[in-house]
Amino acid sequence: MNIVGKRKLWFLISIILVVPGTIALFVWGLKPGIDFTGGQEMEITGTTNQSLAREIVGKAGVKDITVTTSGQDKLLIRYSDKDSGDSEVIHQNIKTLLAQNGLSETAFSSVGPSVSRDITRNALLGVGLASLAILLYIAFAFRNAPPPVSPWSFGGTAIIALLHDALLLLGVFAILGHFFGVQVDALFVTAVLTVIGFSVHDTIVVYDRIRENLRRLNKPFEEVVNISINETLARSLNTSITVILVLTAFFLFGGESIKYFVLALLIGIISGTYSSIFNASPLLVVYNNWKIKRAAKK
Amino acid sequence: MKLNTKLYLIAALVAVLVLIALPREDKILSAVGIKDTALKIRLGLDLQGGASLTYQADLTKIPSADRAKAIDGVINVINKRVNSSGTSEVVVQTSGSDRVSVQLPGISDIDQAIGLIGKTAELSFFKVGTDNIPQATELSGKDLQNATADIDVQTGQPVISFQMKNDAVQKFADLTKEINLSGGRLLIVLDNQPLFNGTVSTPITDGKGQMQGFASLKAAQDTSVLLNAGALPVPIKLVEQRAVGASLGTESIQKSLVAGAIGLLAVLIFMIAYYRLAGLVAGGALVIYTLIVLDIFKLSSISQTPIVLTLAGIAGFVLSIGMAVDANILIFERMKEEVRDGSTVQSGMEAGFKRAWTSIRDSNVSTLITCLILYISGIPIIKGFAVTLALGVVVSMFTAITISKTFMEAVVRTKLGSKPSSYRIKEAKR
Repeated sequence: MNIVGKRKLWFLISIILVVPGTIALFVWGLKPGIDFTGGQEMEITGTTNQSLAREIVGKAGVKDITVTTSGQDKLLIRYSDKDSGDSEVIHQNIKTLLAQNGLSETAFSSVGPSVSRDITRNALLGVGLASLAILLYIAFAFRNAPPPVSPWSFGGTAIIALLHDALLLLGVFAILGHFFGVQVDALFVTAVLTVIGFSVHDTIVVYDRIRENLRRLNKPFEEVVNISINETLARSLNTSITVILVLTAFFLFGGESIKYFVLALLIGIISGTYSSIFNASPLLVVYNNWKIKRAAKK
Repeated sequence: MKLNTKLYLIAALVAVLVLIALPREDKILSAVGIKDTALKIRLGLDLQGGASLTYQADLTKIPSADRAKAIDGVINVINKRVNSSGTSEVVVQTSGSDRVSVQLPGISDIDQAIGLIGKTAELSFFKVGTDNIPQATELSGKDLQNATADIDVQTGQPVISFQMKNDAVQKFADLTKEINLSGGRLLIVLDNQPLFNGTVSTPITDGKGQMQGFASLKAAQDTSVLLNAGALPVPIKLVEQRAVGASLGTESIQKSLVAGAIGLLAVLIFMIAYYRLAGLVAGGALVIYTLIVLDIFKLSSISQTPIVLTLAGIAGFVLSIGMAVDANILIFERMKEEVRDGSTVQSGMEAGFKRAWTSIRDSNVSTLITCLILYISGIPIIKGFAVTLALGVVVSMFTAITISKTFMEAVVRTKLGSKPSSYRIKEAKR
């Protein structure tokens, strides 16, 4: 399969997939959950009537009430008790009101502003640190890369593939957030970081082969890259299929609590597989051609 | 090492693994002399139901040198309050520099716990003269030896009987004597709630007293817990609360088990369909891999740092199954290439393991780096995920290069195993 030769097509597909989400990300942004904003979240059982739930919780005098479904028979209610008085008293009131309507609470979370500030800071720090550490690691792992590639071009293109996956994932959740009220929480950050890790994991396997083949085969760079991609194609696809199989099982049967976390992993891993095959390595060729052209001009 | 020796070693390993993994391993272990082992996978609050509370201590008035001591004091007092019997699995620990987290597994009445923990519980003794102005005394909650809630047999009302500490008995006697002579009243206040307000008929010389006026026996019991635990050294504020009902936890476990079983089965079917005999080997290695991880979870429960399995942790484990299979896939694909290029199945297998190793190592290290960073982020739910994923990655590397390899070595020696078609490999173009 001539993957490198058709690189413009693959890049175009990537752009079509990534751009809408990226626009959504900048226009609407992600819907941060209580982990990042602070606030209260409760899961109740006994009704699927969203307006009833909203009315009941509204009686307690809290703000920013949102009600979404959680599974088939539960509702997720979020509210903010800021400036409404003592958190505990309000929570008690709501529980009493729910009980009067024959409903009950199955889970409750309350996150104060100082905690949500810390979670946000640590999450951002984590994403930044992870990207940096991975770039350094790739540059280190490929420090003895044979010409014409440099360790840093391996690292740089792997980071571009990684950004592709992260942007696609964030974009999908920006869209889901805008239309379905899906919020992102601390677990979502975990999903993003895991996807980053997986994307690099996948890319490294292909790069490893390129490095090996550069030493072994005496062929033009573009051809070596294409051979390497093809040789690792079955592995990339099969590994992804196994991961996708278990994740799909969890998405379908694993319950509501981690559904969106699993969805995030699924999207990221599919994207990671695509980007490591169709973006990362062809980008190496693009970068190499550009370098040659620039050298010729001088 | 000879192949047979390796196979026997693996068989022995599997026997031990199964022994530990069995639900009633304590019975078996005690039969061979290892007694009193309660190996149990520690479940997180999201799986067994319960509440996690985080409190922020107000350390602004404490000099920085004494802050650690103040936090220790807070932990000590909270422990006594929520675990007065000392039997429950409550965990109270520091979280960051000025926070204390309280894990209350399987708790039914979280509000009572919150009510108990949050109180400062400053006990003060006042003498009130005939002018009705309370005057502070030097007695405080620290002078109390113990307090017991009970129903007074004469009045039928809930009361708390208390006993002063030895060195405070004299002070209490002096105080009650003075109040008795002056005709004033004794006022005992817990935070803002009066526990005793009345005259003293005779000086109390044995340091024993009784307080009444509680709404119920339950209220008296709660107060006695606070009195026995003592006052918090610094005020604390509830900043985070996460509670999951036991039924939701059970549901999560059941669903995860079902999903995990379906996922694992799907992977096995796929691997066998695609790699045939090698897929079977990978499946066997995957089962051993699952056993090892399960056993590590169980064994860690008796260590200093038990691994707590959470819902996010299960997801980490699920993902690590993919990583475990990946190592096998990398090897088998290499082997396929070698055989297609003309080597025998046996030498192709050897070369496959050797040449796939750098890929396995490099790619897994990048996942381990991510795990490390996730872990040091300090966010509990993320830590749980990172630990199981990292554990899975490390164990999967081990099983790929030891178990899978040994199995493959054994398989390629058989008649069926020496044919490329047994692995869905097309014969080499010769």
